[in-house]
Amino acid sequence: MSALQCLNPAARLLLPARCIYSPSVSSYLLTAGFHNSAPLAAHKTQDRSKNRGVSAIHRKYPKQPLSVAKVALPQPADVVDTRIDIDPDHGLYGFFKAKDTVLPTPEDDHKHGRAWSVEELRRKSWEDLHKLWWTCVKERNIMFTQQLERKRLDPGFGAFEAKSREREIARTQRAIKHVLTERYYAWQEALMLAKSDLEINMTGNGPVYKPRALEESTPDLPDEVSELPKGASEGKATASG
Amino acid sequence: MVSPTQPLLRSLRRLALTTKMVGKGYYKGNRTGSMGRHTRHGGYIIDWNKVRTYVVPDLKGFMLTPFVTKKLPYTRGRYAGEEGPMSGELFLKRWKVENGQY
Repeated sequence: MSALQCLNPAARLLLPARCIYSPSVSSYLLTAGFHNSAPLAAHKTQDRSKNRGVSAIHRKYPKQPLSVAKVALPQPADVVDTRIDIDPDHGLYGFFKAKDTVLPTPEDDHKHGRAWSVEELRRKSWEDLHKLWWTCVKERNIMFTQQLERKRLDPGFGAFEAKSREREIARTQRAIKHVLTERYYAWQEALMLAKSDLEINMTGNGPVYKPRALEESTPDLPDEVSELPKGASEGKATASG
Repeated sequence: MVSPTQPLLRSLRRLALTTKMVGKGYYKGNRTGSMGRHTRHGGYIIDWNKVRTYVVPDLKGFMLTPFVTKKLPYTRGRYAGEEGPMSGELFLKRWKVENGQY
């Protein structure tokens, strides 16, 4: 259908001179160029102003929908239980006194005794001293953890009691070291004396200790020690006290 | 040369060097100790005999704590004559009694 036939007879008379009678020409060119001409009204100009008439007060919203409306809303992820099963005997609990509290109250921290004295520790065996040392180490580790927590939380109290408690533990450790050093020096001296001691036989042949009194009273006493393996009596000689 | 400020000059003539100062060749350790030996190619071989190992005993059932009751006064040892806690004679005597197997 020719574009010219769309026009009303009146409009045809008003055609511009350079109009071409061709069906390929768009109707926009062939029509009268008034703003209120009917065919012109059919083509609406694009209102590129997105915020035209938008008012928060009058609750007027934008004419164009949001571009994100085309995108489907993401669904919330499934609830995942992030709790981890904690072993109640976990080794890291060794850095804390209780599982639910981090810092002790100053009253609880103050409830401690005095440090071990050197004389009291002299009576203890190597095993006891070794275990006591590591008990002190673990206790001090707990106190250092508490110190860090106190630095982080800054409660403003508790540092004095903790420091005096730590001092006592350090004194115990010092006393343990003192005792072990003394024992070592005494053993070194005893070893030197044993070489010149007539009752002690350091050659390795036969028993190490043969008390002279026993020999004089019962010379026919069977030598039970010689049945033992050679290393046993020598082991006792080196690790005593 | 690194020099201190005027107030420090009175008590500190020279600042202590750190590991970051001086040119090549200046080595300053950090109290960790020697754990092995260097190779001629710049490497390092660890000598496991030098590496320290901590032997922790089993503390199950151990009743002693780092503290002693305050009701008990601080005990000091009494040693007669020349025999002190470090004397070898006393050590030997005790050994004979306790470990001599007689």
